[in-house]
Amino acid sequence: MSKRLAEWTRAAVVRILLWLWVALAMVPLVWMVTTSFKPSGYAQTIPPTWIFAPTLEHYRDVLTGASATPFAPLLLHSLIVALLATVVGLALGLTAAYALARVQFIGKKFLAMWILSTLMFPPVVSVIPVFILAGRLGLIDRYITLIIPYVAFNLPLVIWTLRSSIRQIPQEIEDAALVDGASRFEVIWRIVLPLAAPGIATAGILSMLLSWNEFLFALTLTRSAVKTAPVGISEFTGMFGTQWGSLTAGATTIVAPVVLMALVLRRRLIEGLTLGAVK
Amino acid sequence: MTLQQPAPAWRDRVGSGGLRRRSRGEPATASPVGRDQANRLGWGLVAPAVLVLLALTIFPAAYLVYASFRSYNLMTPEAATFVGLDNYRNIVADPDLRHSMLVTLLFVVLAVGIEFAFGLCLALILARKSRENTIAATLLILPMAVTPVVSALVWRELLNPNYGWVDYYLRRIGLMHEPVAWLSQPVTAWIAVISLDVWQWTPFVALILMAGLQGIPPEPREAAAVDGATGWRLFWDVIFPLLRPFVAIAVLLRTLDAFKTFGTIDVLTGGGPGVSTEIINLTIYRTALQDFSVGAAAALGISFLVVLSIIVPQMLRILARNSDLVEG
Repeated sequence: MSKRLAEWTRAAVVRILLWLWVALAMVPLVWMVTTSFKPSGYAQTIPPTWIFAPTLEHYRDVLTGASATPFAPLLLHSLIVALLATVVGLALGLTAAYALARVQFIGKKFLAMWILSTLMFPPVVSVIPVFILAGRLGLIDRYITLIIPYVAFNLPLVIWTLRSSIRQIPQEIEDAALVDGASRFEVIWRIVLPLAAPGIATAGILSMLLSWNEFLFALTLTRSAVKTAPVGISEFTGMFGTQWGSLTAGATTIVAPVVLMALVLRRRLIEGLTLGAVK
Repeated sequence: MTLQQPAPAWRDRVGSGGLRRRSRGEPATASPVGRDQANRLGWGLVAPAVLVLLALTIFPAAYLVYASFRSYNLMTPEAATFVGLDNYRNIVADPDLRHSMLVTLLFVVLAVGIEFAFGLCLALILARKSRENTIAATLLILPMAVTPVVSALVWRELLNPNYGWVDYYLRRIGLMHEPVAWLSQPVTAWIAVISLDVWQWTPFVALILMAGLQGIPPEPREAAAVDGATGWRLFWDVIFPLLRPFVAIAVLLRTLDAFKTFGTIDVLTGGGPGVSTEIINLTIYRTALQDFSVGAAAALGISFLVVLSIIVPQMLRILARNSDLVEG
């Protein structure tokens, strides 16, 4: 009897600790979202206000720029950069992954390892030469200057994830198509692409997420024409003594799309982030 | 085969051995002509990706090696001269630079260590499949997706000594008596920096380990339980060895990522107070793009790269011993 009681107590304590962690982990998000809907006078009160009439005034101010630089264009820049970087990354990554999964060529093993090892390359080391070169070529504050580095950052992840999903496609199908006279590009386009679709979705959504969230390159290589949302929000603190309403409304507009994407993708998020190693 | 446990159904039908042999050596590539063709095809297909990767790794590294031997200021590029190893000598001589190397290592070890400890605990709790656990695991995903710069801004305001929730509620429940200016003292600034990283990335470790635990077949555990193994012994002797590939990959990927940390610390503490949380990435960035001393920053960057290329292959070797992720 006492043994059972001890076990029950232990299980209860464990559950409480789990939900305590989850609850604490939600606090920053709860703060961000609730503050963004609080009317101006209630955002920064002590004790915190919990009962208020929600308002969209901060979203309106932030997006249209009644209080500072309008935020809507920055979100658009972020979206364009993330989409283009993802599409280009997937195109380059899919062909490379196909070769690494299916074609026997000299240096393949070394190449696969080298691609993986570029993950360790610190972005702050590559941003300096890129900044100098882009400055000389007059390419600061252009989409392409941001897109190429983002493609490079995402490629190891895209290639390794896709390589592991291409390997799960039965080779017989491709062989049959090759025998029937299909070219390699037809095989990749017509057979590998649709069959590897789940892997492509994982890699694509993760590329979007990582490009959308990137800060260092965007901070260095953009001024205003293609300034992205994370850079824009980081300027909120100094400029006007941090108005919580504007700050949290801006923050929520950046975070909401990626968090929703992560929720939709939740099963595949870990698979993608571990380069296809953990399913 | 990667880490996933259940093999797809077709593999049973074809037999994994046979299939693997076929996917490795294509019958068509046996003849020398075929092999040439395969080489051309393979390199042709990887070339575009490899070029982009080269442009962002080898090209910058080569340029920085060159720049590191020069006294090169972006404001006065025409005055750049060859200075030999001076930039590297300054690194060794300057206590601030040694300090930021140490700060970086301390940050990575503390953050990844704590994330692993908490992540393992969460994974052990969440491994049993139930509706409650699914909900908890889903909520845990949220911090991972939050834009790092945004989470740093949120942290700043939560820790605000005048209006922040942390100070208010900690005083409310009696854990604190005076408001604390978290970001203006080294120790509390470190707590802020580490807690932010732990909040954002513990779920990553937890979900990987959870996937690993859920894939462990029940037989070894049952057999050990029959033999009388319980609690810690059961965990260390039976479960942990089976979990090791997942531990290896979680720690490796977290470590690589922690070494790249920039935006969160830049926004949260800016490296302060003083230089107490200034990791090497911030130092390099400021030296190059705020002081414009490209030569000095290049020497720092190259040194950092050398340190990383000593540490990371060791970790990859450990990973390779524990999993077949990195094998061809």
